[in-house]
Amino acid sequence: MGSTIAEKILARTAGVASVAAGDEIRAKPDFVIAYDFPGYTNVIFKQMEEDFGIEKVAEPERFALFIDHMVPAVSPEEEDLHRNTRDWGAKNGVPVYERLGIGHHVASELGYSTPGAFVVHFDGHVSQMGTFGTLAMGIRRHLLEAFVNERIQMQVPATVRVNLHGEAGRGVMARDIFHHIVRELGPAACRFQVLEIGGEALEHLSIDGRQTINCLAMFTGAVTAIMNPDAVTLPVALERARLDIEPVRSDADARYSAVHDIDIDALEPVVVVPPSPRNTQNLKDYVGTEVQVGYLGSCASGRLEDLEIAARVLSGQRIKPGFQLHVVPTSQAIMEEASRRGYLTDLIAAGAYVTSSSCDYCFGRAGVMTAGQRAVSTGTLNVRGRMGSPDSEIYIVNAAAVAASAITGEITDPRHYL
Amino acid sequence: MGLENLNGRVAWIFEDVDFDVDEIVGVKNIKIQDVEKLADIAMRAFDPRFHDQVQAGDLLVGNHNFGYGHPHYPPMIAMRRLGISGVIAESFSPGYWRGEIAMGFPQVSCPGILAAVKRWDRIEVDWAACVVRNLTQGSSLGFEPLAIADRQMLETGGLIGYLHARSQAELT
Repeated sequence: MGSTIAEKILARTAGVASVAAGDEIRAKPDFVIAYDFPGYTNVIFKQMEEDFGIEKVAEPERFALFIDHMVPAVSPEEEDLHRNTRDWGAKNGVPVYERLGIGHHVASELGYSTPGAFVVHFDGHVSQMGTFGTLAMGIRRHLLEAFVNERIQMQVPATVRVNLHGEAGRGVMARDIFHHIVRELGPAACRFQVLEIGGEALEHLSIDGRQTINCLAMFTGAVTAIMNPDAVTLPVALERARLDIEPVRSDADARYSAVHDIDIDALEPVVVVPPSPRNTQNLKDYVGTEVQVGYLGSCASGRLEDLEIAARVLSGQRIKPGFQLHVVPTSQAIMEEASRRGYLTDLIAAGAYVTSSSCDYCFGRAGVMTAGQRAVSTGTLNVRGRMGSPDSEIYIVNAAAVAASAITGEITDPRHYL
Repeated sequence: MGLENLNGRVAWIFEDVDFDVDEIVGVKNIKIQDVEKLADIAMRAFDPRFHDQVQAGDLLVGNHNFGYGHPHYPPMIAMRRLGISGVIAESFSPGYWRGEIAMGFPQVSCPGILAAVKRWDRIEVDWAACVVRNLTQGSSLGFEPLAIADRQMLETGGLIGYLHARSQAELT
């Protein structure tokens, strides 16, 4: 019996020949990454010193910190948190990447998404790094273990394999594919397991699109998502890889707890209806729903292909007077390239409010809604209160649909504009 | 070190699949940090008399994928303040599970629990036997054993105690 890519990575980091689902292992993460956030990093720094008497992390090159939430700071307390993070990084010899974009995406840009590497973070969206064959898990407060010990105790998760077949049609994006997976499998299908995504449909999916899909794995219940490195991702990932380790792939006879085949040929644009990420519906059934706010950004969406399609929809158009369209590229590198290609010019000319990269629009710290307002959003989540008032609503759609809805002020099928 | 069995009444049954625990205090209250205030708000939307009836040691029961969504810590901080000693559910959402286990708050994954209990039944969680006993109805139901780290975390009161115990074990 062969092994999955996740099992191979965990076996290497646990220092054993092979592992199987359910095995208890002590794995050494190749990278430990985090963004600074109250209750997480500041508490970890404090606990390290006060509870464990550890002044500096061993092997600082395994650690990386990001400042992406509360950017720019709006209070002295927020800036204080950031300064504390910078000071801690300087003291420990740990790099602090600031104002480059959303941390785990920037981590991929900077080569922490080394194929075959094992990465831990407290935030589950780090599963995005699985695009490059990196096993990246969000372990919430357990991240402290990786700061005070070389190894973390864990149980090897089983893997669910999803094969995507076909090719997405016009106006159908990776975002739709992911939410269609949730619709097909349900929000608990991959609970406590790794979601491994493959199938020939991947050949037509860009790296941007793959990052979108992997980033959202948690809404299937998965502890992370991963794709086997291929001709699309491997050259990019190896060029920027920070570690010299052999990329691994799942064996043909690997053990999966379940294998699902999902066809995307007939898929239409979807909308995830509030207040839960489990509510995937066809967008056409919600066309005409009045919306006042649009958010195009986040670690899930907000990459070049999202900005490109939004620019295409909005080129030569004007957004509806009074509509608030926030465009927040996932990273500064993406923003620079979008600027060079003229996408931002088209978006700004149409009336979009374009902002440097930040997580703040996604979690209700900037661009918030008041009671009764509705947004179309490419943010990660549509639970109540996520973008302001608990009595506002978030309809998750793809980037093209955000742009199209901004023109009309109601949920709009983007295919009319493509 | 062994885990002390839980023994209490079923104080509430959350029947919703994919239950979002933030609803326990209400999303608009999720940023409140005052434990007393949180405890006072908790469960009001479900049962205004909950506070008068709940007793120390009581348990909560949930359906499948309990804790789905974007779970925050305040709801269960409030429930512990009210005396709740653990949650038994058909199954759990991993993010919620990890968060609460790290707090040292017992979570029991027990397929079939919804059909096996009624509100106010007295039940016992027997960790050694991996069994939930319904003492009121005289029935019992097996539950899924805990992973090593999860079990040790509950035994040591949470993440910090667990990591101390680990360092001790590695030193000796």
